[in-house]
Amino acid sequence: MKAETPRADPASAAGEPASPPAGKNRPLWLHLVGLPGVTAVAVLSAMVLPIPLAVILALFTASLAAWSAAALASRIRTSEQERCSLDAQLVQSQKLAAIGEMSAGIAHEINNPMAIIAQESDWMTHLMSQPQVTPENLAELRDSLAEIVRQVDRCKAITHNLLNFSRKMDPILQQEHLERIMEDMVLLVEKEAKLQGVSIVRDYDPELAAIQTDVPLLRQVVLNLLLNAFQAIPGQGTITVSTRPAGADRVAIAVADTGAGILPENMSKIFNPFFTTKPPGVGTGLGLSMCHGIVDRLGGAITVESEPGRGAKFTVTLPR
Amino acid sequence: MSIRILVVDDEPDFIETMVKRFTFRKMPVTAAPSGIAALKLLEAEPFDVVIMDVRMPGKDGIETLKEIKKRYPLTEVIMLTGHASVESGMRGMSLGAYDYVLKPVDFDELLEKVRKAHERKLLNEGRNAPR
Repeated sequence: MKAETPRADPASAAGEPASPPAGKNRPLWLHLVGLPGVTAVAVLSAMVLPIPLAVILALFTASLAAWSAAALASRIRTSEQERCSLDAQLVQSQKLAAIGEMSAGIAHEINNPMAIIAQESDWMTHLMSQPQVTPENLAELRDSLAEIVRQVDRCKAITHNLLNFSRKMDPILQQEHLERIMEDMVLLVEKEAKLQGVSIVRDYDPELAAIQTDVPLLRQVVLNLLLNAFQAIPGQGTITVSTRPAGADRVAIAVADTGAGILPENMSKIFNPFFTTKPPGVGTGLGLSMCHGIVDRLGGAITVESEPGRGAKFTVTLPR
Repeated sequence: MSIRILVVDDEPDFIETMVKRFTFRKMPVTAAPSGIAALKLLEAEPFDVVIMDVRMPGKDGIETLKEIKKRYPLTEVIMLTGHASVESGMRGMSLGAYDYVLKPVDFDELLEKVRKAHERKLLNEGRNAPR
């Protein structure tokens, strides 16, 4: 971020109403000191001045106050907009980074067959430039051609997989009850958790209607959150799973644990890929970022609340 | 419309019960005693939903699931497990299983899961068709 050096603003010195972009740079003291100052002077002089002059002065002070309020309001609005666009830019740059990483992988995958194709066609060109095509050369030409066909197939398989991958990214929406989606995952974790003294409390809303969602994808999210909750509890403890309506057109799933909680400095990093507080080998640091990705694709949002030492609660809100 | 079901388990008793119950509901069902056998059957004819045990000698359920999803991405697989392993559940779900269910499973519930898995397959096919 650029630090601006304080400078004299000719527009403000002249007391002209500033245009919006210039107003942004105007120092804040003008509003904080200038306006009360002018008001004080006006009040004091109103005591000694004749009434008509005092009224004019009062009107002038009032309009100055109104202008100051408007300027401050617009400044708040601008900074809010800036913050929003910075957030959007951050998301965009993270996406770009992921795409960059993926394309590097694809480029590498395709470069290898390309290199072989180039080599083989070079060799073929060389053979065909010979004055006479001997039977041995012909056999070699056939070999090279077959190799090229093989490598083209390899490239085709790569692009085919990529297409499948991008198609697989689209969720398939089915009507299903949240409880039916979650319960198998809860049972799976419950059996293992019970052995270690961790119990699972179900707090499903029985009135909740079925929602439209990608069932196996959501199961992955639930299983991940449950495993996370389980791993966050060092000894005995409780995991609470709940479902609730969240407004007219959304539902919320929450997984809360009585574990170690999340340190405030880690809260902003918790959904980042490869971020983990678990010892090496226990977690990949991909679980929560994967949850975040899936929930995003399902049109929902995932949030976390935590008090260190008192556990954490992850909430997934989804469209119905 | 009928759902073509493949049941994969190394336990003959379990297979027998499954076949009996699906047949009773007039649903076509085929059984395979191992992952390798299941893959061979899939090569010969298409199935809509595979119900498969996780722990099997030879090629285990997870390995077979990986192979099935690679070769026939639209076929839905419901994994059954006798021993709850969260780690293997995570692996199964991320490999594209429709569900990961702890045994013993209520048959009517399993049937409902099979129907849902089949519905998903139809939706998936419908989406791929125009291409």
